[in-house]
Amino acid sequence: MPGQFHFDFSNTSGRIRFWAVLVVIVMVIFGFQLFYVQVIRYSHYHQAALSYQLKQYEIPATRGLIYAKDGNSNVPIVLNQKLYTLFADPPLITKPQTVAYQISKIIGGTPTSYIPLLTAKYTQYVVIARKLSQSQNQKIVALQDPGLGTTGQDYRVYPDGSLAAQVLGFVNSKGVGEYGIEQALNPLLAGKSGMLKAITAANGVPLAASKQNTQIAPVSGSSIVLTLNVGIQAQLEKILAQDYKSTKSQGLSAIVMDPYNAQVVAMANYPTYNPANYQNVTNQQIFQNAAIDYPIEPGSVMKTLTTSTALNVGAITPNESFYDPAHWLINGFNIHDISIDGGPREQNIQSILSLSLNTGATWMLMQMGQRGGTQILPKGIETWHNYMVNHFRLGQPTGIQQGYEASGYVPPANLNDPSIDLRYANTAFGQGVSLTALQLITALSSVINGGTYYQPSLVNQIISPNGHVTNLKPKVLERNVVSPNVGPELEPLMEGVVKSYFHGGFSFMNFPPNYIVGGKTGTAQVAKPTGGYYKNVYNGTYIGFVGGNAPQYLIVVYNIKPGVPGYAGSFGGQPVFADIAHMLINEGFVTPKTH
Amino acid sequence: MLDQLATYYRRWLGPTEAIKEMPKRAHRPDRWLLINMLVLLVIGLVLIYSISPALAATTGVSGSYYVVRQFIAVGLGLVAFAITAKVPLVKWRANYKLLIAGAALLTMIAIILPVNPSYPAHRWVRFAGFSFESVEFVIFAILIWFARFLDIRIKQSSIKNFAKTMRPILGALLLIAAVVSIIQSDLGSTATIIAIMGVMVFVAGLPLKRLLMIGGIVVGLVVVAIIAFPYRLARIETFLHPTSNCTSASGYQACQALIAVGSGGIAGVGLGSGAQAYGYLPESDNDSIFAIYAEEFGFVGAVTLIVLFTNLFWRMAKIAEGAPDDFSRLVVIGVMAWISVEALINIGAMIGLLPLKGITLPFISYGGTAVVFFAAATGLVYQVSSYTTFNRLTERNQSR
Repeated sequence: MPGQFHFDFSNTSGRIRFWAVLVVIVMVIFGFQLFYVQVIRYSHYHQAALSYQLKQYEIPATRGLIYAKDGNSNVPIVLNQKLYTLFADPPLITKPQTVAYQISKIIGGTPTSYIPLLTAKYTQYVVIARKLSQSQNQKIVALQDPGLGTTGQDYRVYPDGSLAAQVLGFVNSKGVGEYGIEQALNPLLAGKSGMLKAITAANGVPLAASKQNTQIAPVSGSSIVLTLNVGIQAQLEKILAQDYKSTKSQGLSAIVMDPYNAQVVAMANYPTYNPANYQNVTNQQIFQNAAIDYPIEPGSVMKTLTTSTALNVGAITPNESFYDPAHWLINGFNIHDISIDGGPREQNIQSILSLSLNTGATWMLMQMGQRGGTQILPKGIETWHNYMVNHFRLGQPTGIQQGYEASGYVPPANLNDPSIDLRYANTAFGQGVSLTALQLITALSSVINGGTYYQPSLVNQIISPNGHVTNLKPKVLERNVVSPNVGPELEPLMEGVVKSYFHGGFSFMNFPPNYIVGGKTGTAQVAKPTGGYYKNVYNGTYIGFVGGNAPQYLIVVYNIKPGVPGYAGSFGGQPVFADIAHMLINEGFVTPKTH
Repeated sequence: MLDQLATYYRRWLGPTEAIKEMPKRAHRPDRWLLINMLVLLVIGLVLIYSISPALAATTGVSGSYYVVRQFIAVGLGLVAFAITAKVPLVKWRANYKLLIAGAALLTMIAIILPVNPSYPAHRWVRFAGFSFESVEFVIFAILIWFARFLDIRIKQSSIKNFAKTMRPILGALLLIAAVVSIIQSDLGSTATIIAIMGVMVFVAGLPLKRLLMIGGIVVGLVVVAIIAFPYRLARIETFLHPTSNCTSASGYQACQALIAVGSGGIAGVGLGSGAQAYGYLPESDNDSIFAIYAEEFGFVGAVTLIVLFTNLFWRMAKIAEGAPDDFSRLVVIGVMAWISVEALINIGAMIGLLPLKGITLPFISYGGTAVVFFAAATGLVYQVSSYTTFNRLTERNQSR
């Protein structure tokens, strides 16, 4: 066999060469295979490697803080605190007994409870404990155990505990605001999280320097200053907690509002919770800010709006008298007062409010159709519907900075409805129509301030991450709700209601002479979900104001199904209002009369 | 007392053989052989250094742990090299029984000692924080014994005698297969030993017919070993479908090795920049180190390493050709077979041409025992390179 590679197996040298050439041939084959894998198929394997190695991480942005007003200064009521999660990489824990003992010394607990976690199989990541403090974290890091690690995470802390909890809402474990202002302004508060795309180890730890790494820095969230006055807010919450018990309430909400800009000065509900421990809340309803998301049929407090409308359209004058027949037969249904006060007789506008005459409210609706009329006319229905929907903006959310705001309900002015007269007579005294406490107080604010409907607001200022302060101006939604003279006509009538209750034996409705206090009770029937109303179950409501030369604060109270005897408005709503008004006066929040 | 021990020892060794000493006059040894080996050892050290952060991150030891230990191993390896290069081959030959006895003792200790739970195989002898892989010593001892055995058969012209040559070989193979392959479940090392003996016996002039017979028996044993231990079957299946399943336990390492090699591209990702060592590719310091090397140094680096190994083997083959006597020639060819078979099996598995075998890459892989014994083996070749006589071969080549 001629040629270069002739191996003579009969001599040793030939056999050595055969073996050597065999090795070289295999090496050459390896070289070709390397060329195929590394050069020809490079992009395939490069992509395959990246699919394992390249991971994307979110860099959380620092969430904005929340301040409230305390006099002229701002105080933080929601802060951030960095807390730490302790995790273990069990295969790297060589002495679980020792490590468990060390951990228990630092974070508490019994060593035996940590051993199953430290010796877990088939995992490189086991969470040992969450929410560790800065100092605990430092002690863990000082152990220098390669099998232990910590990661920091911002948590919300609440220096005032449950203060304004339902207004604030909370931040869930994913860093997203839920309920209240945390939900409504989540994008503003949260900022924009950054991103790290990095080549990582198999356990997910980014490798230091790699050309493939890209990083987008996070943008911190803005801080906000609420319109809430912490002093009033704290006092209000105390009052609600006490009166919840004393009125055997099933739910109590109240708002204090500055009527001249519709800024919420205080807003609270009871029962409430501590947002720091939101995980412990079992009944989700407690998260809800009932003052803005729980519309009810408000009852006779609605008569303040009916009266304002009737005054504004010239259907009545403040001192007018009329003959009250004690009941009206409308669509075959008798409308009468809850208490028949002396039967048919002469009444006036003041007594409509003081005695809370449903027949009087119905009469005002009749006057809106035709002055001096004793029938509900389409013109009256259309006028009242127009005022409820377009002037007082009922039946739609106000747009306040809160999650889950409800819109309430105003029945359509459908004149083909055979019982439309009865429906609308009911709305005149607050039945068959539903409002949130916020809708009611904002609507009446627009009457008191001279006819401007401001969008109710909880936020006064926005502070950008670089410290730039933006003052939020009250937003006007409706300019001519009523003419400016309606407020001054309504105020004495509401003051008259307070006085008549005081003279009627409600001693707590006595206020110092250098303050003006006006109000209106509401005892509302509670609608069944299936239609009709419950017997002997009422909600007690109250709308009123307190001030010196002029009303300074509007106050609304919704007391759900108070368990005290007597009219729910008088005995469930009114005492809460009185406590709030007294508190505002006694604590010096109200400027007294100067003339 | 010592005199008596020496007497026993001499008696145990048997009568002194009439061995032709090496030629008295030695020429300069093959310096390039030494340099080639040193370059490979340095590449190994650099690689261990480059993956140290990854090893520290995945095993929890300090960053310098592996480098320091490998550095010590290389130092010990150079000492071993100096010893084997200096101590005459005839002395190694004369003491072959001692080497066999030592290998048997170490193997027994390794089998008796309790196993490390993370590597449940009776392959290591541990003491004072160091571990010693008994099979490396076994291979070294077999190499010396077998070279002597074949040398005697060549001199007796009984290499073709079945009873004198084949029976002892088959007996040795069975013993090794039983101990190393079954008890120590180290099929890779068994294959290496069989290959070394096969190459040596081939060079010694065993007729091809007999060689094929041994080959047939070996193939039969391998089939039995694979069927008896299902995990080996899984490896074969993985090999047949290399990248089909990166998530299965058996296919993961082969797949990640190919990804490491392939993602290196032409020039590699750069020293220390490879990510595959960070927990993706198992045994990245050891069996899989070629893949890490190919990832960091690319096609250019991988081919360079292959050329370095090929050069080493080629030089060894030339030294074997020029060896002054059959014994030294067989020792050299045995060493070459040892290193080349392990290198080929290791690299072949990393680039998807051979099934995974759990064999280290000579001089490069982390591991003290292997480094020391490969250096020692190379020392024997280095010694022989001083006595080569190339004239005969050159003349014959010219005569063709």
